[in-house]
Order: sequence, then structure tokens, then C-alpha cells
Amino acid sequence: MRGPGIRFDAVGLSLGGNEILNGIDFEVAPGAVHCLIGPNGGGKTSLVRCLLGQMPHTGTISVDWQDNGVIGYVPQFLDFDKSLPVSVNDFMAMVCQKRRPAFTGLSKHNRALTDAALERVGLDGKRGARLGSLSGGERQRVLFAQALIPDPALLVLDEPMSSMDEVGAECFEAIIRELAAGGVTIVWVAHDLRQVEEMADAATCVNRTVLFTGAPADVLVGHEAEALFARAGEAEPGDAAP
Amino acid sequence: MTAIYDWIRDTLMNLAFEGTLPLAFQYGFVINALLCALLIGPVLGGVGTMVVTKRMAFFSQAVGNAAMTGVAIGVLLGESYTEPYISTFSFCILFGLVLNYTKGRTALSADTLIGVFLSISLAVGASLLLFVSARVNTHILEAVLFGSVLTVSDTDINVLLVVTIATVLVGVPLFNRLLLASLNPSLADVRGVPVRALEYVFVLMITILTVACLKIVGAVLVEALLLIPAAAARNVIRSMKGFVFLSMAISTVSCVAGVLLPMQLDLPLPSGGAIIMIAAGFFVLTFLIRVTISRFREAQP
Repeated sequence: MRGPGIRFDAVGLSLGGNEILNGIDFEVAPGAVHCLIGPNGGGKTSLVRCLLGQMPHTGTISVDWQDNGVIGYVPQFLDFDKSLPVSVNDFMAMVCQKRRPAFTGLSKHNRALTDAALERVGLDGKRGARLGSLSGGERQRVLFAQALIPDPALLVLDEPMSSMDEVGAECFEAIIRELAAGGVTIVWVAHDLRQVEEMADAATCVNRTVLFTGAPADVLVGHEAEALFARAGEAEPGDAAP
Repeated sequence: MTAIYDWIRDTLMNLAFEGTLPLAFQYGFVINALLCALLIGPVLGGVGTMVVTKRMAFFSQAVGNAAMTGVAIGVLLGESYTEPYISTFSFCILFGLVLNYTKGRTALSADTLIGVFLSISLAVGASLLLFVSARVNTHILEAVLFGSVLTVSDTDINVLLVVTIATVLVGVPLFNRLLLASLNPSLADVRGVPVRALEYVFVLMITILTVACLKIVGAVLVEALLLIPAAAARNVIRSMKGFVFLSMAISTVSCVAGVLLPMQLDLPLPSGGAIIMIAAGFFVLTFLIRVTISRFREAQP
């Protein structure tokens, strides 16, 4: 797998008269683990949604696909009625299976794929559990599992570890390392600085505009950065979405 | 199609005369009503699970009310007052599309907006319907509101047949995508699901189904039949498979029993009312199962 390179060129976004992003310029190298950091409400999630083509942004975002154009996307959370009788398997069927309805189960082919993905995130024992009965961390692992089907060339993670338990976080880190070693480009909205330092090839700090971008070792020094990171680290996840 | 209906009617009527089937089956209208019940039961039960999952119950109520206006306009324009399908379908589809279009372009929350549309459609529909029924037939209002199986014609069965087949052909292959689009639009979009287009597809599906079921269940109660079987199933079920199939079963049994029991027992009840009361019985039953049997309590949020 060869992940794409991505180039953000003068990307701006205004919604309802509020300027959310302005003059965003940076590059994501092919196959890099690239973290987006910055204070909450700074527009990280909006930038991700621009990348996914879901926002009426200005400027250009060019994705230079090498292999296939498969994007794996792990949203921040799943907003749904927790009493719904949707099991983990049902959810995987809904997301990964096109025509065969979830209420008739998974096809043999998709069953093998989803079983493997759930095993990878350590949830193979929870296939029949109701989605609403899982913990927040487990639900995020389910969301991560669906992003692995089919094999993505670009993985977009929107604060996947905001409500993650320790086991889940370790499992996420292991998979991210595996995918990165396999050449997948990973764009990751992160809030844990330890993870950024240890795992990212590059980091971009976004607060309406790009404050700085570069290797984590370079951008993690300096008082301005520390102050911002401290705020980013303390803040509760979830309010960055427009 | 009439030949097939005639054959079904003749066969069942003969069986009734011979004493194999209950006496009620010697009447053609009973068999017509039964055919309709067998068509709408499973479809409304199945679509109901999607309505509940997508939180669209309130919307189908609004369409049901809009149907009253549609019927009234039809009668005013000279359509037959027992089958005013052209104006009812046209008005309700327009109503559904405008509502969905407005939903995406206002700061109001969906339930507030639907509430506004619902009230307008109820006021206009009831006024117009009372106005025309004073001129034509005083029973129109009753029949439109609560259903009237006694007047089901071959045209009604044909409309229902076409609509249920269309619903199955559209709803089954799009089931996953329709649900994913409401669970997480952003994820659905990444997965190549045309979220906005599917919203319209679903709105159209509910609208057309609601109008087709008017004769049997009535404008006021169509929504209940989309909602109650699914809600009853949800009390005791933990997976999508059980949810859909139990909801279909409850809905079908309610429809058939709601059509047949009042005739068998000689009770002057509107079919819609009887169907919903039986469905409500299932809801109470599943609720009691859930609170009394500990195995089902896990299904609680």
C-alpha cells in the first residue's frame, strides 16, 4: 500500500458568517503519520471534514492518490439512540455491506472481513453485543474496526481516543504503527501530546490558521507551543465540531 | 389483476360456504380487506423499524394529516371520493418534499419544523374535509381518519400492491445505507452514501406508503402502525434481525386480526382503530415481558 500525499493550499472556511479556518497551508507527506493538534474550537474537525469533501471550503486540497482511493474514517463519536437493537455485527453490516440488508446478517465474505477487523481491535468477543451496551471506548474501537474495511490508503482519525481506556489506546497505537509501516497515510486529530511525540512523523498546530507545522520534536519546543498544547491537552474533546 | 383477485375471492368464499373457513369469508369485501392487511402488515412493520431508527415517526404523522387535505382537494376537483388517489398522492408528495427541503434550510430543529407543518396540515385538512363532506357524504371524514375496510376496491388493492412492491424493491437494497446516513452522515458520506438524496428517497417512501394505507388504517393512525410494532419489538429484542422480523410479525398479526375480529365479533369498529388497539396490546405484552423477565432487562439502555 502506498498512501497519498496531501496538499492544503490557502484553505478557508466560513459558516454562518463565522470564520472557522483561514489560509491553511501545509503538506502531508505520503505514508506519514501526521497529527493535527491545537486548542478546542480551533477548527481541527472542520479541517478534517474539508479534507473529506464535506465542507464548502475555499482554496484547494489536493490528494495525490498512489494506489487506490480508499479512505478509512473514524469519526469522533457515534450519535445514536443507545436503546436501539443494533448489535456490533449489525453495525458492521450496515457500514461495510452494500446491498444485503443488515437484518439478514453478513455475507460469508464480509463476515470474514469484519471478524478479522474486530479481532484486530480486540472486540472479537463482543460481536453480538448491542452497540448501546458497549462502553464509550469500546464503541470507538468498533468505529476504528470499520475504518479498516477495506484496507485504506488514507486513514483519517478524528480524536479517536477521546474516551478510550488504556487497553483500547494500546491497541489503537499498535494498529496505527502497523498501518504506518505498511505505507498508509494517516491524518490524525490528536489531543494526547505523549502520543504525538512518540508516534507522529509530523504535526500541524491549527487554531483557525496554521500556527506551526513540522516534525513533532521541532514544534513541541518553545513556550508558545507548550502553552497551546497544554490547553489542547486539558480541554474536553467534542466541542471542536461546528 | 382482477382475474386473480376474483379467483382468490371465489376460492375463499367457497371454503367459507363449505364451513372450512369462518362465515365472514363468504363476503368479498372481507377477503379484499384481508388481502390489504397481508400486504401492508409486513411492509409497515419492516419500514417501521427504519422510521424508529431514523427518528421519523413524527414526520409520518404529518404526512397522514396532509393526506386529509389531499383527499379534500381531490373531492373538490371532482375525483371519486372513495379513490381520490391522484390528488392525495400529488399533494402528499409535494408536502413531504417541501418539508424535507425546508428542514435543511432553517435553523429550526426537525421536530419543531415538523410540528409546524403537522399543525398546518391538520387545520387545513380538517377544515377542507368537513367542508366537502357536508356537500358529498358525511362519512368521508370518518373513513379518511380511521380507515374503512368495507369499501376497499380492486383499485385500492392494486395501488397497495404496486406501492408495497416498490417499497420492498427500494427499501431492502438501500436498508443499510438509509440507516447509516442517519447514524453518522459524515461516515456515510465517506462510504459513498449519497446522504441527502437518500433522505428524499426515504421521505418519498414513507409518504407513498402512508397514502396507500389510508383506506385500511386511516390518516390519523398510519403513523401508529409504523411506530407501535417496532416499539413493541424493541422492548424484547437485541439485534437488527429480531427487530425487523418481530416488528413485521406483530404488524401483520395486528392488521389481519384488526380487520377480521370486528367482523367476526360483529363490532362496529373502524379497522384502523381495531388494528392499532391490537398492536398496542402487543406493546403492553412485550413491555410486561421486559419488566418481569430478567433476561430481557439487559435490553434496557
